Amino acid sequence: MLEIKNLHVRIEEDGTEIIKGLNLSVAAGEVAAIMGPNGSGKSTLSYVLSGKEDYEVTEGSITYNGQDLLELDVAERAAAGVFLAFQYPVEIPGVPTMTFLKEAMNAQRKERGEAELTTPDFIKRVRAAAGDLKIDFNMLKRPVNVGFSGGEKKRAEILQMSLLEPKLCILDETDSGLDIDALKIVSDGVNHLRDPNRAVIVITHYQRLLDHIVPDSVHVLSNGQIVKSGDKSLAIELEEKGYADIIAAAA
Amino acid sequence: MTAHTPRILTDAETSLLDAYVAAGNTNAARDAAIAQLKDNGLPTRRVEAFHYTDLRALLKAGYSVASRPTEELAKTVGAQFPRLVTGASVQHFRDGHFFDFGEALPKGATVVAELPEAKPLGGNEDATALINTAFAQDGLTLSIAEGAEIEQTIGLAYAHTGSANTIAAQRFAINAAANSTSTIVYRAVGLEDVQYLSSSVVDLDIADGATVTFTMSIEEGNLAQRLGRLNVSLGNGAKLNLFILNVGGKLVRQEVNFDVVGENVDLNISGVNLIGGESHIDVTSRITHHTPNTNSTETFRNVATGRGRGVFQGQINVRQAAQLTDARMACNTLLLSDDCDFSAKPELEIFADDVQCAHGATVTDLEDSYMFYLMARGISETNARRMLIKAFVAEIVEDLEDKGLAEGLEGRIDTWMEKHV
Repeated sequence: MLEIKNLHVRIEEDGTEIIKGLNLSVAAGEVAAIMGPNGSGKSTLSYVLSGKEDYEVTEGSITYNGQDLLELDVAERAAAGVFLAFQYPVEIPGVPTMTFLKEAMNAQRKERGEAELTTPDFIKRVRAAAGDLKIDFNMLKRPVNVGFSGGEKKRAEILQMSLLEPKLCILDETDSGLDIDALKIVSDGVNHLRDPNRAVIVITHYQRLLDHIVPDSVHVLSNGQIVKSGDKSLAIELEEKGYADIIAAAA
Repeated sequence: MTAHTPRILTDAETSLLDAYVAAGNTNAARDAAIAQLKDNGLPTRRVEAFHYTDLRALLKAGYSVASRPTEELAKTVGAQFPRLVTGASVQHFRDGHFFDFGEALPKGATVVAELPEAKPLGGNEDATALINTAFAQDGLTLSIAEGAEIEQTIGLAYAHTGSANTIAAQRFAINAAANSTSTIVYRAVGLEDVQYLSSSVVDLDIADGATVTFTMSIEEGNLAQRLGRLNVSLGNGAKLNLFILNVGGKLVRQEVNFDVVGENVDLNISGVNLIGGESHIDVTSRITHHTPNTNSTETFRNVATGRGRGVFQGQINVRQAAQLTDARMACNTLLLSDDCDFSAKPELEIFADDVQCAHGATVTDLEDSYMFYLMARGISETNARRMLIKAFVAEIVEDLEDKGLAEGLEGRIDTWMEKHV
């Protein structure tokens, strides 16, 4: 589903190279975990996949379902099924959450040539998804993410993910700022979306999340490259030995 | 050197004088106004109140006073502009002329459909009102009876019916008697792609203990030039909630003057200026606190795009007697294109020593992180921009108590965005 080849990325503003020849492939149905120390390029990778403008791809390619992902703008990628669950979901004053959700769902439906949702159908879907994630429906009457706690924001991200039914989900440190109960709810939400036609990339520092969302593959990102790949046991090894040993051994 | 050099009149000035003679509608007050225009000319940037709107350069030449359109045309054009609120009782003007379409007024409200007297005026700083005094064709006086509590919205609707290069001028007096409550919507509309000059003066007198909710929706045609003024006087314990929407017009100069002459007055002014295409929209406000213990707040949200130019001048005068005045002014602007601009100028003149006056202005573009977040959910760039602009102005519109009116105004904002964003 996703094929990243020899990817080089730098920050547009100051030219700092963050991703330095990254190769990664993720198949449909696969849950791939990307782990790595601070500053290794994990968040940059998630931003480049979703199309954020502040980054410049200088070399390499990203192919998504046979399509050149880099050709598409942010909204087109989302409509094509790429979903980024933000590490820091953005608060947008003045935009009601329900308006935002409806606009997003209908924009993607329109892109796929499907009819717009009727209001009752839309509300029914949101109620059901919110219930699964233990999100108070009244919270959704507020502006997007405004006044949400850290945990509520992360749950709201998963709510959006389940409503938008993406094909490629990228979870950027979704576990950060979550207590144990919230971690369980969020993980259940993600597991619920596991599907043979859907790929999930889980970016995390900690093995703990991977106890709940069990990955098919684990990749260690260091200094802008994948330095080691393995199965879920690699995550456990990392937890025991730390990054330093693994990175040193791979170098 | 005091030698007097006769000033050379511009084309616009000459054609105003010619139009006045051609109309033949004269009296002493009109003659005096036209003489002032002739002597002082139209104001340039050197007149402080017109610092960002050089009227002498901007006002077009070749206008003549509009004749009365047929009733059929008056109705047809009116029908092109669906009402902002349902259930209102509306008084109609077309091209400066009054039309009685027989809408029953609510109990406690009366209308005299005669041109009210013009207020005495000063130099060319008053050009907007001088032109109105000289050219006003029709007008009316709306009176709200003492103690009346009127729920039904009263509308004053003006439409230009499309006769090119005509002046349409009207003047309204509104007297809200003591302890009355009323809701009034003033609306000015005009057809697109027709050049005309719209002149409007409203004198609003709010007596002791009266509350007025006043909304101005100014939706002139894209080639229109408009010179408008609102004068408000507030007595003891009077309350005014004023909202102004500006959307459209090639040149819009809307002056809003407030004299707080009673104590314990509560004056709330808010507005949204949408400035797109080739629009030049200038809201110039002057609040004078004459008396102690009064509050005023003024908040404008502006969106400029295309080659639009916006102006907000906010003057607050606190006279020596006006102790314990609390006056607050804010002007927030979104600048969305490289070729648009906005000028904001606060002017505070404070002669009392125990007062609070605050003013602030901000200018920004749409927040990149908001745009990215919305687009990352599949919302197109255009729709994401519209959502954020709407959010920026909706904060002001949503504060309106009349939800139906707020919805109507939001509809106008949506239409503007469809064209300009």
